Amino acid sequence: MEYALYLGCNIPLKKPQLEVAFREVASIMGMTFKEMDGASCCPDPVATQSLSVDTWMTIAARNLAIAEKMGLDIMTICSGCYETLKTTQVLLEEDENQLKKVNSVLSKIGYEYKGTVKVYNFVEVFSQDDMLEKIKSLIKRSLEGLNIAIHYGCHLVRPSKIMRFDHPEKPTKMDAIVEAMGAKSVPFAAKLECCGFCARLQEEIGFKLVEEKMTELKGLEVDVDALITVCPACTDQYDRKERTISRKTGKELDIPIIYLAELMAIAFGVDETKLGLNTRAVKPNKLMEKLKA
Amino acid sequence: MADMIKKNASDLNTDFRIEVSEKVGAKSLLKCIQCGVCSSGCTVTEYVDMQPHRVVASCLLGLREEVLSSQAIWTCSLCHRCTERCPKNVDYSFILALLRNIATKEGKVPEEYSETINVIFNNGFVNPYTGGLKDNIDKRRARMGLPQIVPPNIEEIQAIIKETGLGNLIKEESDK
Repeated sequence: MEYALYLGCNIPLKKPQLEVAFREVASIMGMTFKEMDGASCCPDPVATQSLSVDTWMTIAARNLAIAEKMGLDIMTICSGCYETLKTTQVLLEEDENQLKKVNSVLSKIGYEYKGTVKVYNFVEVFSQDDMLEKIKSLIKRSLEGLNIAIHYGCHLVRPSKIMRFDHPEKPTKMDAIVEAMGAKSVPFAAKLECCGFCARLQEEIGFKLVEEKMTELKGLEVDVDALITVCPACTDQYDRKERTISRKTGKELDIPIIYLAELMAIAFGVDETKLGLNTRAVKPNKLMEKLKA
Repeated sequence: MADMIKKNASDLNTDFRIEVSEKVGAKSLLKCIQCGVCSSGCTVTEYVDMQPHRVVASCLLGLREEVLSSQAIWTCSLCHRCTERCPKNVDYSFILALLRNIATKEGKVPEEYSETINVIFNNGFVNPYTGGLKDNIDKRRARMGLPQIVPPNIEEIQAIIKETGLGNLIKEESDK
């Protein structure tokens, strides 16, 4: 199945190493994409939605209209983009008046959104039964022996009446992918807690949430080898803040944060030098050594 | 927590709940039974001056000013647990967005938020992508073997922002 690949802003402009990992993995899995030339910011679900729901949905609908013209459904690789585009897709399907309102603005710039595009996140596709089998068959380096903590993040799963992605309180799709690669998904209490990145006005909220989650992971009976994310904002939030917290508190918070596609790339045997894992504040050296042993 | 508010019935804006609930997706506001499930699961509950169930109660009572000038409506981390767990399907996280929209129209908007729409207005993206920065990003992507970015026609994005009512938040570009 071919998709229109929607990259967003954060990944292509600031963290292109995540894009490299995703493209490598998707191509190994035989997926093909067309680039969404002329796509803009999704736009971001925090600021733009807060300022004007109409602005938010109209810019999003312009992006949906680009994919509609290509005749393809959209594949997203960032949870913020997924939330914005999926919410707009669903609300415009359900609310004819809002669709008219959006189109009255879009018509002024020569666009129309008919409402036929579906929006997906890569986790959604990779966790289908046949894809899990495919993942197993493509493993070059089994992750057996690794203890992996999974961070779903908020926007992938909630609100479930819109996202329709997985169980909102006990999701399993990322777990299924990680376990298909031979690793163990470690249960922990703060698994479904927010990273705090979107609490823009008070950074202390993010610090508290990161400290609580990472402290719990360090205190588990097993050694956690990595925290796996699917969103560039969560990735950055944990990676940067755990180092800052370690310096401030003397706690040894040093669990590497790895984007799911990067972990898959490692398991698929993609050349490490392509991946740029060394750009993280916490480098996954221990994990890589464990895999080589 | 907010100080006790004493008001006469005549000072309440009883149309406020209609103003909010008329928007798309917000009709559920009127169904709140004040059970407090939203506040008990709220990620930022200990950081807000008015907890979620109190914001809803204040909307229903007509405490328009108090809600729109509260810090609570801007502190949310958008985790959507309130919306997920509400037994009456009140979509609190979306209602909160609408409350922020109303506050924005009245000029009560934090700099952090209005700055973002300026970046999108000038770049089409939420990160700067012009001049030397653009060159660096393009070179880095080329080195990594990634395809060239084909950015949006910026005039289209600017037209949407103006047509949907956020033009007044855009700062004049002094360097042009």
